[in-house]
Amino acid sequence: MSNPTPRSPGSNWLAFAFLGGVLALIAGLIWAVLAGKLQPPAPVTTEAQATRDLYNFVFVVAAVIFLFVEALIVFAVIRYRRKPTDTELPPQIHGNSVLEVLWTVIPTILVVILFIFSWNTLNTVDAVSPAPAVTVRAVAAQFEWEFDYLAADGQTVQFRQQTPELDLPVGVDVHVILRSNDVIHAFYVPKFLFKRDVVPGLENNFDFTIDPADVNQTFRGQCAEFCGTFHSTMLFSVKALSPTDFNTWLQTQIKTAAATPAPVPSGGGTAATTLDLTAHNIAYDTSSLEAPAGQPFIINFTNNDPSVPHNVQITDGTGQVIFKGELVTGPDHRQYPIPALAAGTYTFSCSVHPQMTGTLTVK
Amino acid sequence: MATTTLRAGVGYRSGLYEWLTTTDHKKIGILYLANSILMFLLGGVFALVVRLELAQPGLQFLTDSQYNQAFTIHASLMLFLFVIPVLAGFGNYLVPLMIGAPDMAFPRINAFSFWLLPLAAIVMLSGFATGTGAAAAGWTEYSPLAQAKYSGIGTDLWIVALLLIGTSSILGSINFIVTIFKMRAPGMTLLRMPIMVWTMLVTSILVMMATPVLTSALIMLFIDRNLGGHFFDPATGGNAILWQNTFWFYSHPAVYIMILPAMGIISEILPVFSRKPLFGYKAFVFATAAIGALGFSVWAHHMFTTGAVYLPFFSFMTFLIAIPTGVKFFNWIATMFRGQLTFSTPLLYSLGFLTMFLIGGINGAFSAAVPVDFALHDTYWVVAHIHYVLFGGSVFAVFAGLYYWWPKMFGRRLNETLGKIQFVFMFIGFNLTFFPMHLLGLSGMPRRIADYDPTAGWNDLNLLATIGGFVIAFSIVPFLWNVFITFRSGQPAGDDPWEGNTLEWATSSPPPPYNFDHLPEIRSERPVFDARHGVSHA
Repeated sequence: MSNPTPRSPGSNWLAFAFLGGVLALIAGLIWAVLAGKLQPPAPVTTEAQATRDLYNFVFVVAAVIFLFVEALIVFAVIRYRRKPTDTELPPQIHGNSVLEVLWTVIPTILVVILFIFSWNTLNTVDAVSPAPAVTVRAVAAQFEWEFDYLAADGQTVQFRQQTPELDLPVGVDVHVILRSNDVIHAFYVPKFLFKRDVVPGLENNFDFTIDPADVNQTFRGQCAEFCGTFHSTMLFSVKALSPTDFNTWLQTQIKTAAATPAPVPSGGGTAATTLDLTAHNIAYDTSSLEAPAGQPFIINFTNNDPSVPHNVQITDGTGQVIFKGELVTGPDHRQYPIPALAAGTYTFSCSVHPQMTGTLTVK
Repeated sequence: MATTTLRAGVGYRSGLYEWLTTTDHKKIGILYLANSILMFLLGGVFALVVRLELAQPGLQFLTDSQYNQAFTIHASLMLFLFVIPVLAGFGNYLVPLMIGAPDMAFPRINAFSFWLLPLAAIVMLSGFATGTGAAAAGWTEYSPLAQAKYSGIGTDLWIVALLLIGTSSILGSINFIVTIFKMRAPGMTLLRMPIMVWTMLVTSILVMMATPVLTSALIMLFIDRNLGGHFFDPATGGNAILWQNTFWFYSHPAVYIMILPAMGIISEILPVFSRKPLFGYKAFVFATAAIGALGFSVWAHHMFTTGAVYLPFFSFMTFLIAIPTGVKFFNWIATMFRGQLTFSTPLLYSLGFLTMFLIGGINGAFSAAVPVDFALHDTYWVVAHIHYVLFGGSVFAVFAGLYYWWPKMFGRRLNETLGKIQFVFMFIGFNLTFFPMHLLGLSGMPRRIADYDPTAGWNDLNLLATIGGFVIAFSIVPFLWNVFITFRSGQPAGDDPWEGNTLEWATSSPPPPYNFDHLPEIRSERPVFDARHGVSHA
């Protein structure tokens, strides 16, 4: 191989195809940068703003290094192609101490700077207020979220939100405590630029303040730590309210919760009626149930789907959840004590599989 | 038992029997490569299944449970049965040749290490034949999700498969370390060893130190699941974070196990196709050792969001890894500077490695900045990052190595034009698949979800990634065709088709049993170059 290999036929169109493809990719990259797609979403909390600033700083450093190194590679590829006249060996350079020290020291300085900036931001993002305005405990379980609004003592549950909607006031410090009773989940709201794992046996917590400019907005949230079969269905939303609206909403919820009779403890013995309901192949065996009005009853629930969780949830005409049974992973069965209901038509459904539904007639 | 191997030429044994019983490091190396590529194709099929399901919102082809099995087995095959063994395969084939040794130190243990791998693959995949399916808790198998209460027998089979693979790795690493320290030819000092051998040495030390930790964690998980243990389940007094600590204590060094030999391959190819020595050989050796050492102090950067690790320490150590990696990058580029580049397939794939692994290195720095990691962790950004490292890095290096050493292994050169067609499709397809995942992750798409909200703005990018996945799959067609026609009618390669530097090019293609009839003088890290150009180091 004293002479370079002759170019193989067809290498021209291949080179053009390759260049065309690479140019298209670069165009895509430029579009992504210009359209802001290579940035996290617009932050909606004070902490998210700090993270976003840090991201932008890292991004600029990264972009400069990326362009510089890729340019060096492209330059070498174009400039140092072997020419037909290159029969002699090029200079056999084994190294250069000055250059090698330079490209060790400069990156060292860079990473130390990056570390200091990120540590600084971490102290902002991880800061916890001694006196938060609102304390909420997010309880995660396969595959649903519930939110306990705690009293000022951080212990007493004032009200448990059973629909996956977290209502919060803007402009004040919110403290969130995380609890899991089964596997690991993660509380993740993309616009908060933040997530924290919900680890059984460990109570993680964090603080944030929603920007007042984002009042009355709803942010999507989702479990981010893979938690089992229906992980992708474990969604929730965060609703930002003005502090006055939030207080009104919270007081209403606390009153409603107090007015609803507490569930009959199991083995209470007063329930006369027992309704049978079976889940199989992600469906109930019946689409209608009937129960007497004004007295508690029992739903005897059997789940025949191996490894699949189901439950029974009862909602009234307005969509308000009246009863939510704990999840049963099949094959298994459970007796759900249902509180006394007023006459009317209700819906029963599985909280994991919204397509599993039926009508409960109370008369 | 040397006599056993010497009788191989007598001819009363079939070729198949010879391959099944061989203790020749070259044949074992080729077996490693063949088995790994088979696993790459199979893992690729699972990847296509995943991409097909994600092409549009809603569940079209799979149930949630099948989707979870598909991505778990995709990752498990690619990491444990493709990337790690394929590089061990290159090491097996090359290390004895490159240091002028007749074979590995323990040829029978070497054969045993290999045969554990197909067995492990069968055990892992047999999960699909059970009622509850294969392992489905992700390749990280986090407890409590991996406990018996939440996962079926597929998880037990996965644990047993990983124990087999771990045993294979540990035995292989001891074999490499002994071979490299005890069997170098006269004149082959440590600082004259090819960088490929250095990377295999550091990799083997990582394997030997880290794999036993994973192995013990796996046994503990097995005890939890089957024998009433309480190591990792908080419901019974265990600790869920303990699993993550032990798992990542292995699995982060494992990332370097998956990339250091790939860097070794690149460091062999760039000098040959630049007609220059590797720039800064000693710095390169120290950088390799530094990455190996730092690799043991960064495992918890996978756990920043657990709330259970000391963040500044692991953040700082993670940033530090950028320094030796940067040194390597600049050394590679300086090797090309003022050289005479010939754009054969091995160099093309090496350039693919340089340009793409750079992205995988840089997007890693985002996750080292802890608050940014809080936003990006467990989103598609991380999926993009690992694929830029392990596909843009390792897979491009694997193909560079295959095209480079194929003539040595089989005496015939792979077709250059088909190799370039494959490269073009693979490079474009790779970027189409994995670059959009950065955007998906930034906008909040978590990884490991079977379905997504059609209004979240993720539809187009997912479709693009799926199209890219099929472009990658298509790029494998010219490769397989290339292998087929090369075996049938490939161009004879000769002993030294690329004007190589290292000792494997001083013997015939393919090399005879025990490798060398005679060795050239070894007075530098390029003995074959010295012999060709009459360079004297006297």
